[in-house]
Amino acid sequence: QNLRLSSHVLSDFGTDGLSIANDNGSFSTSWLRNLSDASSSWHSSSTKPRKLITNDFDNFHFHAQPSPIPTSVLQLAGSAYLMRATAWEHYGSAPMVRMNTLVYATCFADAASSSELSLAYVKLIEQLAVFKGYSAAFCALKLAEEKFPSSTNSQIHLLKMQLLHERALHRGHLRIAQQICDEFGVLSSSVSGVDIELKTEASLRRARTLLAAKQFSQAAAVANSLFTTCYKYNMQVENASVLLLLAEIHRKSDNAVLGLPYALASQSFCKSFNLDLLEASATLTLAELWLALGSNHAKRALSLVYQSLPMILGHGGLELRARSQIVLAKCHLTDPEFSVSEDPCAVLDPLNQAAEDLQVLEYHEMAAEVYYLKAMTYNHLGKEYEREEAAARFKEHVTALENPRDEEDSLVY
Amino acid sequence: NLSLFPPVRPPKKTSPKKPPTKQQAAMAEEQMEEASSSAAASGTPFQLQFDKPIPFQIKLAEWNPEKDLLAMVTDDSKVLLHRFNWQRLWTISPGKCITSICWSPDGKIVALGTEDGFVLLHDVENGKMLRSIKSHDVAIICLNWAEDEPLSRTDKEDLLSYEDRTTRFFPPAPVMPRIGGLNSGDTGLADENEEAIQAFSSASCQRFNILCTGDKDGCICFSIFGIFPIGKININKVPIHVQSSGKRTSYRLQDVSISKQVSLSRNLHQLVLLCSGKLINTDNLSLSNDLSVGVHCLHLDTSIFSNRKNELHQVSQQASSIQDLVEVVRASISMMSKQWSNAMNLFHEKFSALPSLLTAHGMESSSEDEFMSLLFGTHTSPALHQFLVSSLGEAGLKRIAKTIESAGRELRIVVSEHLQPAVEIISFRLAELRGLARWRSRFQNIGLDEKLMDGVTERVGMLVVQVERFSRVAATVLYLFQNFLSWVLKCVKILLSEPTDQVPSTNSELVVIFLKFLLDKDPIKQLLETDQIFEWDIDTAKHVEHLVVFGGFTDTKFLERSLAKQFSELEESLKEAFLMPFTTVSSQIHCQGLLPLYPVTSSDALSSTSTPASIAFYKDKDSQHNASSYSSTDYICFKIPDGSLNLRNFVAVIKDFCNSCSTSNTPSLSGFLLHIPVEYECVDLSLYKDNQVVLLLSGKSSSENAGRSWMVMLQTENLSFSQFSRTFPANYYNLQELEALELQLDTDYGKVRSVPHPLSTPLAVSASRGVACI
Repeated sequence: QNLRLSSHVLSDFGTDGLSIANDNGSFSTSWLRNLSDASSSWHSSSTKPRKLITNDFDNFHFHAQPSPIPTSVLQLAGSAYLMRATAWEHYGSAPMVRMNTLVYATCFADAASSSELSLAYVKLIEQLAVFKGYSAAFCALKLAEEKFPSSTNSQIHLLKMQLLHERALHRGHLRIAQQICDEFGVLSSSVSGVDIELKTEASLRRARTLLAAKQFSQAAAVANSLFTTCYKYNMQVENASVLLLLAEIHRKSDNAVLGLPYALASQSFCKSFNLDLLEASATLTLAELWLALGSNHAKRALSLVYQSLPMILGHGGLELRARSQIVLAKCHLTDPEFSVSEDPCAVLDPLNQAAEDLQVLEYHEMAAEVYYLKAMTYNHLGKEYEREEAAARFKEHVTALENPRDEEDSLVY
Repeated sequence: NLSLFPPVRPPKKTSPKKPPTKQQAAMAEEQMEEASSSAAASGTPFQLQFDKPIPFQIKLAEWNPEKDLLAMVTDDSKVLLHRFNWQRLWTISPGKCITSICWSPDGKIVALGTEDGFVLLHDVENGKMLRSIKSHDVAIICLNWAEDEPLSRTDKEDLLSYEDRTTRFFPPAPVMPRIGGLNSGDTGLADENEEAIQAFSSASCQRFNILCTGDKDGCICFSIFGIFPIGKININKVPIHVQSSGKRTSYRLQDVSISKQVSLSRNLHQLVLLCSGKLINTDNLSLSNDLSVGVHCLHLDTSIFSNRKNELHQVSQQASSIQDLVEVVRASISMMSKQWSNAMNLFHEKFSALPSLLTAHGMESSSEDEFMSLLFGTHTSPALHQFLVSSLGEAGLKRIAKTIESAGRELRIVVSEHLQPAVEIISFRLAELRGLARWRSRFQNIGLDEKLMDGVTERVGMLVVQVERFSRVAATVLYLFQNFLSWVLKCVKILLSEPTDQVPSTNSELVVIFLKFLLDKDPIKQLLETDQIFEWDIDTAKHVEHLVVFGGFTDTKFLERSLAKQFSELEESLKEAFLMPFTTVSSQIHCQGLLPLYPVTSSDALSSTSTPASIAFYKDKDSQHNASSYSSTDYICFKIPDGSLNLRNFVAVIKDFCNSCSTSNTPSLSGFLLHIPVEYECVDLSLYKDNQVVLLLSGKSSSENAGRSWMVMLQTENLSFSQFSRTFPANYYNLQELEALELQLDTDYGKVRSVPHPLSTPLAVSASRGVACI
């Protein structure tokens, strides 16, 4: 509600006390700027074949006259869009995040402060990493670094480290991941109660690295202490995600029964705070946990997956989407009443889609799982050629995971 | 052999006066008792409730399925809504010839079909029109609004239920802006209307229902909730495949005219309709003969609606509210454009006096120059002096200032209360739809296309940028106007030697900007027109192209467009995206079977549409409720026109047509013919709950029984259905095979009551309330 009202700041400008006479010389500056541009542009615009209209007050037109609206008002109006984008990140609507950020980057770039503009770019790059894969994200990151030198801008630097860490985890380069985690730890101040967000992020990443390295008890210990901190500082979103991480740790350590309460707690946390996307992924974890409890729970797991699918497919990133497709296929495969030969599409379609997504993400561990399941399915169907093909891909990914040859690549982008 | 009730004694009249003239139709409401009620024992079946004269001829009548409300259409196309106690709730005259009527399943909306192909949806509460949808080109003959039975819901489907998140994150959707905005005095009427529309979109979308509309030329349209078009099928083009002795023959119907009856079964699985037309063999055109022109019964397979109802429900829920909001945006843009051009017209009208005054004074300078020199205090030319003091004057100036200020306020209100929220909700809903589109295994077969949805999402993002740009330009321009006008006011006061301390201080730099760029230009109008292409600089171009790498809009030319142009592009792509489900679903509706009923000669083909007929589906009593679906039996009841099939005064009842189409190995098609006593004719008929038939018989004017009529209710279970084979195409019409029963008005198989008036159509019975209106 408040965010919505904040967008009125621009349209209400001039109606009440908002109008301030600003004679600080900014007008003269822009007049001068226009004067120098004017001579060259007259020439070029007259040769254009189309009949163009100039709108003198359009901020996208460089002849545009200085606006009487002070920059502070514009900044205020613009940051409403950034706030909205952040809110949608939590509520779970990826296209809304992108749209609001783009509106900010397009319309308010001229008035924005460098830290806010860089935040907008960070959001856009994060979206790219989640939806288009790392190569696109790093490509954009390079451009952003040119624009905002990373020495002066901590946000861009932080983003770079986050992306590198994620990629190292996905590629299975655990040593690099650990190294980046340590760097994270150094970034924050050593005084307790300061830089809480940075600290939680660092320990979250450490727990995930430990999980990837199959150090379950250590990972659980880190996550538990993290939960206490988050609880202490009332960080609800982090609370929910740490609970989910704990559920994940228990699932991976084959303690599905222990994981269930964590997943349920995370789910109800998300429900009460409208964290829809996180809730969907908690539901997915819940489905995985049920599935791990045995084949007689496959039906329940399937319905949980169905419940979360509209949300995950619409707003979840590549990894989450691929995970949900794998769980969907697994639900079918473990269901004793389901027969692959009757409805092979129900299993193969999600698996193919997951393989496609994971290819972009370079996530070897999950890709190996997909190809394993595919090979098994083809084996059931008696299609040997396809089975061999899937098996070969499986092996490729497993070797890539076990022998991280080009580990040093992980720091290059 | 049929026996009926003994003739009953004449009913007690509650209304003493008889209708004095023939123009006055008598309306009587009768309570239909339950089949085995005590009323039969007491000798008075059908208890008479009211007998009222009314001053119009009634053309159509329909009972509300939920409440005791009767909607009637008069010959001059007025619509009346009466309560059971004959209190009239409202009357409306839509100004169009109404050709059909039906109620929504929840009884909250009455749908009217017009002669020119519109479907009008009216609110039951006050008769206000909620929607007007043009779905046909010719008269809509029949309407049928069917709702998915809640019984068929199962646990599995409950888990698949989908939450519309919009209500959680957004305030109520914005409505169309009204002319006059907040300062209009009469908020009463418009407010009610808005609330109604609001209630309509939120309440009526809870349950999945489909409105079928059939027109004179044989087109049938389907729309979810009555507002979101989801399918269309042209009976003239539907191939009809007939299996006969192992051979498959294709037929087609020509010159189809749908009769009054179309019925969608309550599980939305099948559609039965009666239509007249010429049946031609597409494999061998020469085979058709005169006999092939007749009334046929068609069975369409609409199982796509029942199989995919969850998906269709979700998509239509989002899509229909997107369409509503698009209308809001359209109205907002046109209203802003109107308001602003009105204000600008006044401004230019007043200020155009200055150049002519300048020429009159023999000066060659422009008005801009004159104002400039006034600003910099060099001198006030006599022309400008005359313009400011006498032709414009303080009062005129204040009027302009007030007009522009109120136009500006309107603009602000429309942008912040209507345009921005509407565009925001559209983009959220589109994002949700895009998510659904990604679920290919479920949504691709109802035509929700991922690529098209992506395109629309992109367009709506650009529209948000355009709205932002517009609001910024508008804020600037309005501020400059305000500044300029108070400066002029100050000047006028100085010229008149009046104190200027009341005038707010002004910024002279902004006055210069105004004089240079706003005096004869209108940047707001430019953005509201569709045919403008804007120039934009290289820096911005670079910036936008730069953003593409970061996942920005790939169409970098969008800044060339105006707000209105961008909106029309969004509309186009939305139309394209929603056309996909429409065509996909349409292509999955097939004809399952055909039963020729009786031949008609071309001369009475026209009148065949008015032949009484009734189609209904009843749930099978013995069908076990196995969660997913239940079977239902269709009953088709119609009057055979005199002379056709060499029968006179016959009514036919057929059941199980659909099942006989789908399972050809068990021929279950059965029926019977009923011969009406010669001195009466069947005026209208209707199927009534649990397989009963209600007939209205009127004495023929030639016989001594003229003026005396009967209302008859028959239990079809008591009558013997005989099976008959579908020997088509070897033999076209084989209704004669059926056993013909003699209807006698004095035996004991049903209920009979005499009515002391001559009767005419329509007969309206209500299965849920147990009442009939004749």
